[in-house]
Amino acid sequence: MPRISADDRLRRLLALVPWVVAADGPRIEDVCTRFGLTESELIAELDLVWCCGVHPFTPDSLMEVTIEDGRVWIRYADWFDRPLRLTPEEGLALVAAGAALLAVPGADPEGPLARGLRKLADVLGIDAEGAIEVSLGSVSESVLASLREAVSDHHQVEIDYYVYGRDERTRRVVDPYAVFAAEGEWYLTAWCHLAQAERRFRVDRIRSLTMLDRTFEPPATAPTAEVFEPRPNDPRVVLDLAPRARWVAEQYPMVSVQEKGKGRLRVTFVVSETAWLERLLLRLGADATVVSGAAGVGRAAADRVLARYGRTVTAR
Amino acid sequence: MANRLERLLNLTAALLNASHPLTSADIAEQVPGYPDPEDKATFRRAFERDKESLRDMGIPLDLVELPGIDPPEQGYRIKRDAYALRDPGLDPDELAAIHLATAAVRMEGLPGTEAIWKLGGAPTAAADGAALAALPTIPQLVPLFSAVADRAPVGFGYRGEGRTVDPHRLSFSRGRWYLDGYDHDRAAERQFRLDRIEGDVTVGASGSFERPDAPSDRATQPWELGVDPPVTALVRIEGDQAGWALDHLGDVVIVERGDDGSIVVELTVTNRDAFRSFVVGFLEHAEVLAPPELRDELIAWLELVP
Repeated sequence: MPRISADDRLRRLLALVPWVVAADGPRIEDVCTRFGLTESELIAELDLVWCCGVHPFTPDSLMEVTIEDGRVWIRYADWFDRPLRLTPEEGLALVAAGAALLAVPGADPEGPLARGLRKLADVLGIDAEGAIEVSLGSVSESVLASLREAVSDHHQVEIDYYVYGRDERTRRVVDPYAVFAAEGEWYLTAWCHLAQAERRFRVDRIRSLTMLDRTFEPPATAPTAEVFEPRPNDPRVVLDLAPRARWVAEQYPMVSVQEKGKGRLRVTFVVSETAWLERLLLRLGADATVVSGAAGVGRAAADRVLARYGRTVTAR
Repeated sequence: MANRLERLLNLTAALLNASHPLTSADIAEQVPGYPDPEDKATFRRAFERDKESLRDMGIPLDLVELPGIDPPEQGYRIKRDAYALRDPGLDPDELAAIHLATAAVRMEGLPGTEAIWKLGGAPTAAADGAALAALPTIPQLVPLFSAVADRAPVGFGYRGEGRTVDPHRLSFSRGRWYLDGYDHDRAAERQFRLDRIEGDVTVGASGSFERPDAPSDRATQPWELGVDPPVTALVRIEGDQAGWALDHLGDVVIVERGDDGSIVVELTVTNRDAFRSFVVGFLEHAEVLAPPELRDELIAWLELVP
């Protein structure tokens, strides 16, 4: 038996005993499956139950365990006829996980999960619809559904992908390894045949996809879930931020943050893609000044946008 | 190890079974397995450790004054109605769906298995799939969730000030946890970012307030979350960007679709700063068409970019 603490075994027993009592002779293999035990582990636990009870430990004050024809009965366990209440941590884990899965586009708001969560919420004294709301990030229901199917069937897909950081559209064939929601967005991890490397794609930037007949061999180890991975040669950019733009230091991973007095900050961070920086600089307007690493980038981007509004660009 | 487990199981049974609270002398006498009850210090050490184990796993172990005894003495008890899970009456498919959800959503540091055991165990072997979603857990989440469930006011530090809040609901959005509630210090509804809460959360008395219904039509886009006078804006978005833009915009009014795939959408703006940030995110692939004042504001903003 793997080493497992007395506390953990007690937690399991306090749930196992009431379940076996209520099931009135369940099959031993069902008990093992439900509680994650091998048969010999279960027998060891039952041996222990058998000698527990209350003072004065006469036969009528001990629990009784009967094993017969591959079934098990526990009797005289009145103290343990109900499972222990859920702790706040457990309640939170169940309700938040349920709310998250219901937030996946395509989830059935009247299906078993939604019904089960409403019953659980009632027991916990919260209202299921209101107490916890989870939104995982916006995504097209059909793109997400196709990707999940491709991941589980190991089908290659061709995607029409918008590379936000470079502001360009590309078509590429990928082997979809995993699709998941993290940090407010949906991501696809895949082997990209265009880049000949593993890449992470934002699902909301996949404009369309075609499921291909070709299948692929999934990798032995699951991909990691790190979302932003700067490359070693990515340039560092230094900005001076006005007090109104201080949020930038909290929003993005920073190499260094330095107070400049009167609420101003000097921040240094790594920039992988130019278009990403352009957007940030346009958003910050006059509240950010490039100190080094990206001279003229914001001004050039602003001029391109202004051209759209019929403004002639004047060199400064 | 087995001896201690046996002792813990017997201790729990004794405390649930007793018709009156048990003193530590009663426990030493009635629960086998303690190292030599005559040696008071050794007994106390073992008993302290057991009490901590029971409380850690959420067993409501009370210490109460025994009635009619002089000098006063204290005894331990576990109230059955506080101990037991109220049966949620889950159907097998509902339990299976909840179990799948705990397997599909990764929440670091939170227990999953024990809760499923209490509800009747995993009906099938756990789905061996990778997680579909990860939700960050931060230390303040558990006490705040309890407080929401118990309708208990909470106190915490926020932006250098102490706040007292009736917590109404928790939400996870754009990758972060938020708390909505009534802020007693500001005398208004407020939203707090959990990762900005400073230090520990203190929890007050249960049942202290009535939870209002969740607002039905909540503004979700940043440009709708403001106090500027509402303005209807028309924005053209190029075809290459239209797909993901629509995913983000949700139920938006499309007033025009161009042959090139471009769209013109209608947005109600009450936060002009957020609206400008949204539009410049498209770089030169979007254009504010109307009203002229928003168009002029954007041009003026861009002209000031250093």
